[in-house]
Amino acid sequence: MTARGLRRTLAALAVALALAASAAGCVVVPQNRRKRLADPMMRFQTDALEAHAHQKLYTSREAAAGGDGTPAGGGCACQ
Amino acid sequence: MSSLALLALLVAAEPTVPQYDIESVRVRYTQYAQTGLGYQSAAGPPGKPGSEWLRVEQPQAEVTARLDERVTERIWVPVDIVTAASPDHSRFGKPYDAVDTVTAASRTTPSSTLDTFTTYRADRATDLTMRAAFHIEEPFESWIVGLGASRSFAEDNTVVGVSANQILDWFDRFDLDGNRHGRATRSTTNLNADVTQVLSPTTLANLAYGGTLQTGELGNTWQSVLLSDMTRGEERLPGHRWRHAAAARLAQWLPWEGALTLSYRLYLDSWGIAAHSAEGALAQRVHPGVVLRASYRFHVQDAPAFFTTAADPMASGFRTSDSDLGPFHAQTFGGAVLVDLPLAHRAHDVHVDIGYERYVRSDNLRVDIATCGLGFRF
Repeated sequence: MTARGLRRTLAALAVALALAASAAGCVVVPQNRRKRLADPMMRFQTDALEAHAHQKLYTSREAAAGGDGTPAGGGCACQ
Repeated sequence: MSSLALLALLVAAEPTVPQYDIESVRVRYTQYAQTGLGYQSAAGPPGKPGSEWLRVEQPQAEVTARLDERVTERIWVPVDIVTAASPDHSRFGKPYDAVDTVTAASRTTPSSTLDTFTTYRADRATDLTMRAAFHIEEPFESWIVGLGASRSFAEDNTVVGVSANQILDWFDRFDLDGNRHGRATRSTTNLNADVTQVLSPTTLANLAYGGTLQTGELGNTWQSVLLSDMTRGEERLPGHRWRHAAAARLAQWLPWEGALTLSYRLYLDSWGIAAHSAEGALAQRVHPGVVLRASYRFHVQDAPAFFTTAADPMASGFRTSDSDLGPFHAQTFGGAVLVDLPLAHRAHDVHVDIGYERYVRSDNLRVDIATCGLGFRF
């Protein structure tokens, strides 16, 4: 990808994130109807230790990392 | 009477002991068994990719404690024991492993991290977090600090989070013959932002962005590059790298006591690598406290322009043969059984899980991952 293409894609991502943030709060589900959302099966990451095991595999074996609240590289000789 | 009043006064004046409760204790053991070939490995015939065989044993332990009404501390210790971290680095028939002569890192490398997270609940809707960590392995050390904040809005239907991390890596610099040339450093600066939104009583969505700037020595200094004359030379990488990742995730409750989670991630960096990762997991409760989970992930990535498997020996630019930076697609298939048992004693419940995954790359690298976890919530 060229530097210009990278800048355009990042600008589109920034706009999408800003739109998502501005749309936040449009839906309000009362607490007594959020029982299903609290179920452990609905978590994006089931367990922090299990998530680390996945991150270890993917950050050390692929060139792409990040987007999950953790740095993309650094902190380990394998990255 | 007066002595009783004095005693009551002393009891009232005694400083209150801060509440300290262990909330949970978790341990996990994961084993990775990797096979395959890579052009960066010298453990092969001249002019051909070498072995990437290795095994990793990874025990982890985590304790979460509530220090008082507002402060929670999480202490986490992951350990990695890597066999053949740099498989057989000998070249040209030399009867020794070059890196072994100095560090032993190509035989077995134990590494460990002490990671602490402190969360301060500023008010009902706002959490502040601080992270401090130290990582050590031969011949590598890292210091990590981080700050984060999250705030919920709209009756907790929206949660916005931001965080920043700074990592400093400090490691020995080697050439391909195992000679040490002082120290090298690497800096990693990272910013993250994410929004989690309730879309309906059964649907949850999350959007996240992570940007990372790395500067300094971005290779491990002893990784080799295959040259067009069938010999090997040193890897040369740019001194900085901007890395951007954006992810969208969706979790949907299914009416038959199940849940479907889907995610997509776009990755772009200043080395010219673009990558797409899509993942799905289906969880099904088959009995109260017993969940079966199946997962699938697909990943595809480009290579940087300087990736090569036959570099010009006279050229002076950047070059790498690292198969992890090469063009490939990868699939991961997995399954797990998760059991949560309520306890009548001090622990509220105990969690046990066991899982297996297989990671298969289009360049024939394969990793088998077996994991099991045990946790107690008090």
